[in-house]
Amino acid sequence: MKALAAHGSRLVWIGLALVAALGPFFLREIELFTASRILILALWATSLNLLLGQTGLVSFAHAAYFGVGAYAVALVWEHLGWSPLMGIPLSVPLGALLAFVSGAFALRAVRLYFALLTLALSQLVYVIVFQWYSFTRGDNGIHGIDMPEFLNGTANAYWFVLAVMVVAMIALRVIAVSPFGAALVAIRENRQRAAFLGINVKRYELAAFTIAGTFAALAGALFAVFNREAYPNLLFWTENSVPIFIILIGGMFRFWGPLIGAVVYVLLEETVAGQTEYSHFILGAILLVIVLVIPGGIEGVGEKVVARFRKQPAEVEVAA
Amino acid sequence: MTLDEFVIQLMAGLSRAGLLFIVSAGLSLVFGALRVINLAHGSLYMLGAFVAASVVTKVGSAIGLLPAVVVAAVLVAVVGVAIEIGILRRLYRQEHLLQLLATYGVVLVIADVVRYIWGPTNRSVAAPEFLRGSIGLMGGSFPIYSLFIIAVALAAGAGLWLVVNRTSLGRDIRAAIVDPEMLAGVGVNVSRLFTIVFALGAALAGIAGAIVAPSTAVGLGMDIEIIIEAFAVTIIGGLGSITGALIGAALVGIADSFGILLAPRLAVAFIFLAMAIVLAIKPSGLFGLPERA
Repeated sequence: MKALAAHGSRLVWIGLALVAALGPFFLREIELFTASRILILALWATSLNLLLGQTGLVSFAHAAYFGVGAYAVALVWEHLGWSPLMGIPLSVPLGALLAFVSGAFALRAVRLYFALLTLALSQLVYVIVFQWYSFTRGDNGIHGIDMPEFLNGTANAYWFVLAVMVVAMIALRVIAVSPFGAALVAIRENRQRAAFLGINVKRYELAAFTIAGTFAALAGALFAVFNREAYPNLLFWTENSVPIFIILIGGMFRFWGPLIGAVVYVLLEETVAGQTEYSHFILGAILLVIVLVIPGGIEGVGEKVVARFRKQPAEVEVAA
Repeated sequence: MTLDEFVIQLMAGLSRAGLLFIVSAGLSLVFGALRVINLAHGSLYMLGAFVAASVVTKVGSAIGLLPAVVVAAVLVAVVGVAIEIGILRRLYRQEHLLQLLATYGVVLVIADVVRYIWGPTNRSVAAPEFLRGSIGLMGGSFPIYSLFIIAVALAAGAGLWLVVNRTSLGRDIRAAIVDPEMLAGVGVNVSRLFTIVFALGAALAGIAGAIVAPSTAVGLGMDIEIIIEAFAVTIIGGLGSITGALIGAALVGIADSFGILLAPRLAVAFIFLAMAIVLAIKPSGLFGLPERA
């Protein structure tokens, strides 16, 4: 029964991916921009959720890794004259290295001190990008990156983003449900008990931090490929609000929560928040309501409703 | 650098340190008792600066600063009470990350509320006549207003020390820092105490905002700018310790002042580097409290 259910939900996701792949045939061009933004933000937020939801680590450095990935694309084009696409394979080891080094530093502390350390380290990266004019063009950013011909046309760029994003999401999913992922949940639930069980807590946390940073950089690289630009504000610490919102809206204790959150967030951004100049107020208020009223996010509420219909407790996926 | 220049630069650093101390002491006090890192502390500081700007515009600069400081402190404390009762109190039993995210929501809300009320343009606030200009110092000149900030910071520090160490409220606060459950057990209304501590922290942020207003452009973005430096101070000094806030503020303020002189673009990087080094050696800061399990 359980296996069947798992099989069924896999079919649902394959179906959704197929619908997404057919997007350019039924969406207008402007809607493809929206859809691409959803895909990129979903990947970014899902990578952060490996830390936030699964391991219980609050990081304010995730925007920095996203920005570094975007700059990898922009800088190989700007300085080496390579195809900007070379920035994508470059962003992966770069994000991994940066996340590993900063993670090793930040993980000397725990919980709140850890969160503050990630904030400090990410601001350090931001200041470097912002100030190093000769290399990054400073606060001007790099715009108008030339993409290879096969990416011309919004549909082609969209398909490219979708393909990379789906592969990355599958990889993240495999990690999340692996024994390694289960160990992360154990750490979130009780660090001490996890340690007694023989889990090297710091090492697992560092691994999770590195993996999350790597995928964030990949998402940033996709952003630069699709939008053809990179600018320092991508790395500013307040940018972390975007994936955090998405995770909270969608639900942090489910793997697919951030994907649902990304859809809701982008649509919200383009409807409600786009109509007013006070979008921060609205997002802040929504954040407060979620934290105070439904900390489980939309997916959590959805599962409760479904469970009530089925008259059985909701099956919990990553959460213990 | 001659000795004279060195002294002037040192004084400028101490003035910055004074401001940072008032802000960080509030942040640290709230953390010590409530174990909440208030990301919105910088927003309260910004609110104080804007309130002060309005008061000074209303009553004129001759005596404007005194009522401005009082009104800013009281109003911001009231906002603090609203935040504590309306939001944080509901989250004490929840995971710390939800508290952090809630105060982050407050940051976003206050930023837009300030923009709605005061608009996006910067304001400048005139200092009272007797605080304008400079005095001679070691052959150079030094702004009187910077001395004034140092004086206020010293007064705030002394006041805070007296409250924490010489009053019954302070005794409760010190007990809450160690063990709030035990404190509740002996009959203290801890919930009310938390509200008072948060209001006190907010008032300090409001005072700092009002004090800084005449020496800087009052504008949006003040919140983020100060909170990052205040974090640096509290991380170096250690969260929850007033002494830590004092030492941390002195270090960051002076590093700031000399950093700008030596390598203007890298001044901020110096601070973060110092922070990383301190934490690498002592993860809870120089005088910090370890996290409660």
